Amino acid sequence: MSNASLEAAPFASSGQPQPGAPDNWKRFFSFSTDHKVIGIQYITTAFVFFLFGGLLAMVMRGELITPAADLVDRTVYNGLFTMHGTIMLFMWTFPVLNGFANYLVPLQIGARDMAFPRLNAVAFWMVPVFGVILVASFFIPGGPSQSGWWAYPPVSLQNPTGNLINGQSLWLLAVALSGISSILGAVNIVTTIFRMRAPGMGWFRMPAFCWTVLAAQLIQLFGLPALTAGAVMLLCDLSVGTSFFNPDLGGDPILYQHFFWFYSHPAVYVIILPVFGMFSEIFPVYSRKPLFGYKIVAVSSIIITVLSAMVWVHHMFASGTPGWMRMLFMFSTMLISVPTGIKVFAWVATVWGGKIRLSTPMLFALGGLVMFLFSGITGIMLAAVPFDIHVNNTYFVVGHFHYVIYGATVMGVYAAIYHWFPKMTGRMYYEGLGKLHFALTFIGANLNFFPMHPMGLMGMPRRVASYDPEFAFWNVLASLGGFLLGVSTLPFILNILSSWVQGKPAPANPWKAIGLEWLVDSPPPHENFDEIPVVISAPYGYGLDEPLVASPSGELASEHN
Amino acid sequence: MNPLLQALLENWPVSTTNLDTTTTAQGASAAHAGHGGHGGHGGHEEEDHRMFGFVVFLLSETVIFLSFFVGYVVLKTGSGDWLPSGFEGLDTQEALINTIVLVSSSFVIYIAERFLHKENLWGFRAFWLLTMAMGAFFLYGQAVEWMHLPFGFTSGTFGGTFYLLTGFHGLHVLTGVLLQGVMLGRSFLPGNYERGEFGVAATSLFWHFVDVIWIVLFALIYLWR
Amino acid sequence: MTRRNIFILSALAIAYALISLWVGQQAYRWMPPQASAESVLVDNLFSFLVTIGTFIFLGITGTLLFSAIFQRAAKYDYSDGPGIEGNITLEVVWTAIPFALVIWIGVYSYQIYDQMGILGPMDHSAHGAMGMAVAEAAPSEATVAEESTPPQIEVRARQWAWEFYYPDQNITSTELHLPVNQRARLLLSSEDVIHGLYVPAFRVKQDVVPGEEIDFEFTPIRKGRYRLRDSQYSGTYFAANQTNVVVESEEAYQDWLAIAAANSPTAAENRAIAEFTQAEQNPISLGWESVKPAPAPVVNYSSSEKDTYE
Repeated sequence: MSNASLEAAPFASSGQPQPGAPDNWKRFFSFSTDHKVIGIQYITTAFVFFLFGGLLAMVMRGELITPAADLVDRTVYNGLFTMHGTIMLFMWTFPVLNGFANYLVPLQIGARDMAFPRLNAVAFWMVPVFGVILVASFFIPGGPSQSGWWAYPPVSLQNPTGNLINGQSLWLLAVALSGISSILGAVNIVTTIFRMRAPGMGWFRMPAFCWTVLAAQLIQLFGLPALTAGAVMLLCDLSVGTSFFNPDLGGDPILYQHFFWFYSHPAVYVIILPVFGMFSEIFPVYSRKPLFGYKIVAVSSIIITVLSAMVWVHHMFASGTPGWMRMLFMFSTMLISVPTGIKVFAWVATVWGGKIRLSTPMLFALGGLVMFLFSGITGIMLAAVPFDIHVNNTYFVVGHFHYVIYGATVMGVYAAIYHWFPKMTGRMYYEGLGKLHFALTFIGANLNFFPMHPMGLMGMPRRVASYDPEFAFWNVLASLGGFLLGVSTLPFILNILSSWVQGKPAPANPWKAIGLEWLVDSPPPHENFDEIPVVISAPYGYGLDEPLVASPSGELASEHN
Repeated sequence: MNPLLQALLENWPVSTTNLDTTTTAQGASAAHAGHGGHGGHGGHEEEDHRMFGFVVFLLSETVIFLSFFVGYVVLKTGSGDWLPSGFEGLDTQEALINTIVLVSSSFVIYIAERFLHKENLWGFRAFWLLTMAMGAFFLYGQAVEWMHLPFGFTSGTFGGTFYLLTGFHGLHVLTGVLLQGVMLGRSFLPGNYERGEFGVAATSLFWHFVDVIWIVLFALIYLWR
Repeated sequence: MTRRNIFILSALAIAYALISLWVGQQAYRWMPPQASAESVLVDNLFSFLVTIGTFIFLGITGTLLFSAIFQRAAKYDYSDGPGIEGNITLEVVWTAIPFALVIWIGVYSYQIYDQMGILGPMDHSAHGAMGMAVAEAAPSEATVAEESTPPQIEVRARQWAWEFYYPDQNITSTELHLPVNQRARLLLSSEDVIHGLYVPAFRVKQDVVPGEEIDFEFTPIRKGRYRLRDSQYSGTYFAANQTNVVVESEEAYQDWLAIAAANSPTAAENRAIAEFTQAEQNPISLGWESVKPAPAPVVNYSSSEKDTYE
């Protein structure tokens, strides 16, 4: 017996132009303060940069399909891998996750918008600005930054052209702007979550996605300033001739590494925590079961935030850090696997014994979970100092983090896009194309990134434009996988574009899911809720008889009708 | 008006006429308004969240200063003798006077806030202006000190960190004085405080923040040998 | 928990354990030859990690696969499943066991690290220790000279070549030669940017930081020629900054030293310089401006790119 129906949601309203609706496309190019518009702006802008960063990767894999540096000049390859990493992180991953946070958090907590709508828009519009700066750096004399996305001095201070405006300085400017944009966004989201939850929504009635977004944004707040400090000092060294990190002038290049990694390690949790939240939202819906151990899962997000601040030196095990420091950070790094493991087990327990439906979002979430699991295991290996000494700076690390970033984050984002697409646009997507997209992505990602592990074990360094012939076999496999990944975006783009324009109109709750966002129309009206709902139970009440909200007339109403 | 500029002005910590806010800010004590926030009651969408957001922002700003401080400490302890050749050390006297002026100005601005709270606008303006004068004095003193120093930004790690720290802090002092100027101007607008004193409270909090940073900075750079 | 379930779970656990143990053994084959004493320890640790990792992966993926295949909703059944929100016992167990596992793995890793004797900057190697890898940075202090220990070979890294200086014989080489079963002691320095000394067959790696002189030690145990690569990205020709390490008997080593001493120093072949020169001569620029390579090392003995290695 179904306890859900497709009838109009109790808080539906109609008539006014709606943010995600296809006839509303002009709104997405405007300075709108509506969090739903901004959310979609973030997501689509980010996706464009994802394709661009992916294009760079295609060229890289084209170079690496043969041992010699025969496709592009070495300086070009170095620029490619630098900008691939930079763009994928600052122009794709952070913005797309900000986009989902923007879109979903107010809806999920029962608010009309974010705490500071205009600040929200300002933070978004900075994104295309620093994106343009990064792309522009390809076209100036000397080309873009070629020092890797870490920009370690002294390499990043070498500036062969001698120009004041060079790829590295533009890179630093873009990263600083990105930091400011992210901090503004974080202030907004943290304030919204603390202060604007609907009546009745105590902390332990808030969806797990909001918990993970909060945890991630807290990291941005304490971590980004450290990166900004390091970047400012590096820019001074580069442009003015100060000596913070320049060993020739008495500076300390290892100090830069500490500044850099103090942020950039927690940053990887910024990248994965919201995806954990997405998994926590998606598994219950397609298993028709509550999120197992929801409270512990929620709290584990904050534990991860706290621990994430204490592990950064594991990126510097080979730098010449003292033994006691290596051991300390080895233990703290391994410890993070405990709250993470709690989540993984909780998801397995959520799925187990449920009524599984392998729709596209569920496929991506399951695939993402398995790939994340694999990367977590290689992560523990990397935490073990003696082993890390061998594989640090090799392709083993590249394989590890691509399993996380592509395997978990990208696939998690795809899962989220499919899952919330009907809500955002008011259209249903084509399930067949979605499944095709999943198959190509899952195969492509494994084919591309699994071979990197044996490559690394055998000693192939990362960031190389050329390599010794014994690595050729694995590189050919990886390149084929890479090209397949490029192809895999095609059914996705086709699906999204055609569905958005002419897909079947979507009901308020196509998945019969439980959550405040499913109570409103697809797409939601301008101010989300006619009346702010009053929450009366914990989230994920599948199989339980508790309505989520009190009905508008005061009677107990089932959330599902 | 350019929409970006408009957005910036409207989100500036001043009382504006177009935001839906109610009078909840109460001077410096509003700094604690954000704790233990829970979605509570109906009508919360008219609550003023600006102070909470501003405090969150200041906490983040603190980290950037902390990062510079850490950099200073590491570079100082890592190098044996890092003062530029021929330079004996900084003049603590002048800096101490500046410090006293700046720290005292925190009390002055607090008094100004008390006047405003009691709706004594002229008392408020007088002490507010005095704060600005003291802030300006500090900046002037900083500039004079800079001009008389025999080393520059690129004179080794000491020169670099000295100017970076004092310069970044000075930028914040300047911002504080400018904000105070804006608040002073707005105090002449009729009905400016009908929706609370957020602008004044935030500017005041910012000023205290700048002062505390200076105390740490002074100890690190001028006192610690 | 029915008897049947316990039986099935145990059978699965045993099957997974056997597979994991087997995969753990395979792990040794994925590594380069074990050419140093350190490599044996590292490979043991890796095998241990692979075994545990495989077990965990099989357990979780197996469960998910089973669920995804056999626990699907009926085609038109949109009703909810069981409303199970949690189970305190289970949650405690799956927090406690990983925690214990982490401690176990951490302690074992620490023991391996300790046996390898990897010390950090400002630490000094225990004299006579069971010859394992040591890394130290001593920018301002002189290391205590000990007569009975072999002299330090100076490793000079630059953009983009490796040069090895043997102080006792006063010779330089672009190929590192070491006597087998003797503690190798190196002193690492860089002339420009951060490089990384990495010999996969030895499982050792140490970043070479300009402005520091870093002590580094390990013990080769297997004769042969192995690859030495720059592991810390160091600019345009970083990928080409590679050379070889030759581990040979004491006699062969002494012979080589003598041969090198008899040669007058000449500029070695250098891939970075060769490519850079060619690029300069090419009227069409295919790339962006690069840092100019440092002059080729002028050495008594230079290796050839054509040498084979393991």
